[in-house]
Amino acid sequence: MDVAFTYDNGYKVFEDVSLTADENKFVAIIGPSGVGKSTLLRILGGFLKPFAGEVKLLGRTITRPTPKIALVHQSIVTFPWMTALENVMLAMKPKRIPKEEALKTAKKALELVGLSGFENLYPKEMSGGMRQRVAIARALAAEPLVLLMDEPFSHLDELTAEGLRHEIYNILFAEESPLKSVIMVSHNLTEVVELADVVYVLNGSPAKVVGKIEIDIPRPRNPQNQKFNEYLDTFYNLLTPIKVRKRE
Amino acid sequence: MNDVIIILATLATTGRVLGLTLLSIVTGWLLAYQAIGSKVFENIYISVIEVFESVPVISFFPVVLLIFVTGVGGPIGTELATDFLVFTAVVWNIWVAAYQAFKTLPREMLEVVENYKFGFWGKMRNVYIPFSLPRIAANLFPSIADAFFYITVSEVFSVGTKQYSAFGIGTLITQFIQEENWGDIAFSLTVLAIVVALVMVGLREYSKYVVARYTVDTDAPIIRRGRINFRQSSRLSSVVSRNPLSKLSRYYPHVRRRRSEKEEEENPKNISKYVWIAFGSVLLILLLYGTVKVVTSTPLSLWHSLMMDTPEVLLDLGYDYVRVGIIVLISLLFSVTLGYALAVYHKLEAVMIPIIQVFSAFPSPAYFPLLFLATSPFIYAAFGPFANELYVLGLGFISTFYYVFYSFWMGVKAMPSEYWELMKNLNLNFFQKMRNIILPATFPYLISGISSTVNSAWGGLAIGEFWTDIIAGKNLYVSHGLMKLIAVATNNGNIALAAWASLIFGIVVVVYSILFTRKMMDLARKKYVAEEGLFAA
Repeated sequence: MDVAFTYDNGYKVFEDVSLTADENKFVAIIGPSGVGKSTLLRILGGFLKPFAGEVKLLGRTITRPTPKIALVHQSIVTFPWMTALENVMLAMKPKRIPKEEALKTAKKALELVGLSGFENLYPKEMSGGMRQRVAIARALAAEPLVLLMDEPFSHLDELTAEGLRHEIYNILFAEESPLKSVIMVSHNLTEVVELADVVYVLNGSPAKVVGKIEIDIPRPRNPQNQKFNEYLDTFYNLLTPIKVRKRE
Repeated sequence: MNDVIIILATLATTGRVLGLTLLSIVTGWLLAYQAIGSKVFENIYISVIEVFESVPVISFFPVVLLIFVTGVGGPIGTELATDFLVFTAVVWNIWVAAYQAFKTLPREMLEVVENYKFGFWGKMRNVYIPFSLPRIAANLFPSIADAFFYITVSEVFSVGTKQYSAFGIGTLITQFIQEENWGDIAFSLTVLAIVVALVMVGLREYSKYVVARYTVDTDAPIIRRGRINFRQSSRLSSVVSRNPLSKLSRYYPHVRRRRSEKEEEENPKNISKYVWIAFGSVLLILLLYGTVKVVTSTPLSLWHSLMMDTPEVLLDLGYDYVRVGIIVLISLLFSVTLGYALAVYHKLEAVMIPIIQVFSAFPSPAYFPLLFLATSPFIYAAFGPFANELYVLGLGFISTFYYVFYSFWMGVKAMPSEYWELMKNLNLNFFQKMRNIILPATFPYLISGISSTVNSAWGGLAIGEFWTDIIAGKNLYVSHGLMKLIAVATNNGNIALAAWASLIFGIVVVVYSILFTRKMMDLARKKYVAEEGLFAA
């Protein structure tokens, strides 16, 4: 609510940014490079303290990182000395649950992301797409309520990214998934229209929310669809540099 | 009057250390240039560095005493002996750094200078030397710290009843301690502390300047916290640097060899290859000749005596390895705790790192006698027969802990920021973080630091195990220890036993390096490179 962030040197990145992620909603945040999308995501996760405003999860203020809000990084993060299964089991270490139970949960999470049979592979032996699935499985194994995704497909090749995008919504909102909502930052407008229920557009300096668009297209969404393209046009207009728009 | 001499002696010692460091750099450039141009020379060069870098400086003593003191003789012989010992403390890291830099020079940069037909000096001045500066700068700090550490033993040494000394603060401090001249000891240590601090500050500033100006963004490793790549991080990474040397020579065959091949095609009279083959062969023949001569000229009775002494030498080596193991373990526990705290609490880090840098470069043999004098009544009362061991271990620890400490600290700093976010996100406790993420992620750095600590701990043991008249007429002796055996043999003029023990010691150290350190480094490179945990297209 009314979140603002300022660098140590006084540069105001954004101000008065308010957004809501309702239950079972896939929320996307878009904006030009350098507008502070990733910073905003880290504020939502409690990794950074806002200069002003606060973040609330189910009414409780978030002041530091919590497993209830899981972050999936842009650079796909796995630990090379752990197998896929061990990478996922790491999420359950703080819970001190019995090993058997942790093993079961980790296998279930890997199954959910389509990596059954690959449990004993090390990250080096996997493709980028598989590694990102491991990272998502690890995030889900912590049983978060909210998943934050920072451009999760940007380091994958186009075909792999498209494949994972097609599956991700069903994975995240599957019955077995503990998630209540997902917040994703992205540059890729097609990806956003394909996945999001609600899109917040950040622009300006300091950045503000210049648009909140609800995407009302049935799933699975087809990029050839006319409405799909109308949403894309809307976003392009909102993302046009503010100064240029003023001159127009 | 003494004050002026103390200041002059400190400047002389510092000048000696810095001058020999400069000599190491210049020779490092020239030798590295030869190494990348000639496979034969490269193989000889790498093998020599690998062996000598593993062998602690202390094992050079008998050889030095023989060649310089009895061979050259007089003040010049003593000065050369001192210079040689200081040189062996600084040279290996710097030579390795120069070789690695020359070997990994981006092909594009080389192609540009070749395109413009630059000659030897043109290439050196415009490409090779600037490119090598960041790596050399990273190695200057531990090299110079090592050189300062040895000032008291390298400036003053004795063979039999005769003591040799070169002018320097190490000599003066030893003399003042023998005379129990407290005022001059305090003044000497103060002047030395100021000079060491100034040198360290100068090195820090120089490193910052060099990194800012000469670091090349090539394949951009994903390191967000700190700028130091573990492969480039100094003596701290002496193992990382040392072990891949042979591999490096295979991985980067393009650099000058391609040009050499081209030159050979254009100029069939190019004889450099054959010159180096001849040089290598001559060196090998000389080595074999020397070995045969030593073996045959040694009387049979002496060989028999040396063989009889061998079990004792090995037993004493075993004692020393246990001591080194304890020193490493304590250093590890200390470093992991402090290194983690400093990496996490940045304000503490800003204060502590410069303090630790100056402290670690301040030669412990110079102030240790005072520490001994102040604490010995309590320590001997409390620990009885173990007190001497405690002092030796203490000296070993304060002389070497910083290798593990810096390695670990740099490893923690180099961990990807994403790992830190993930640890916070998953709410891992301290032990879970350490066990699952931080220790594995810093494993290559730790192995590197442990190896450096092991190599350097011998220096502490060599000084502490047999320290006659450490202060106020007191002695510090241990019951068993190879360093003591070598020191006693050298003092008694039994150079044969000292050399024999040094040879066995050298062989064991090299075998240890090959069997343990390299295996660990291979494992580290195979499985524990944290940067490989990030996948970024």
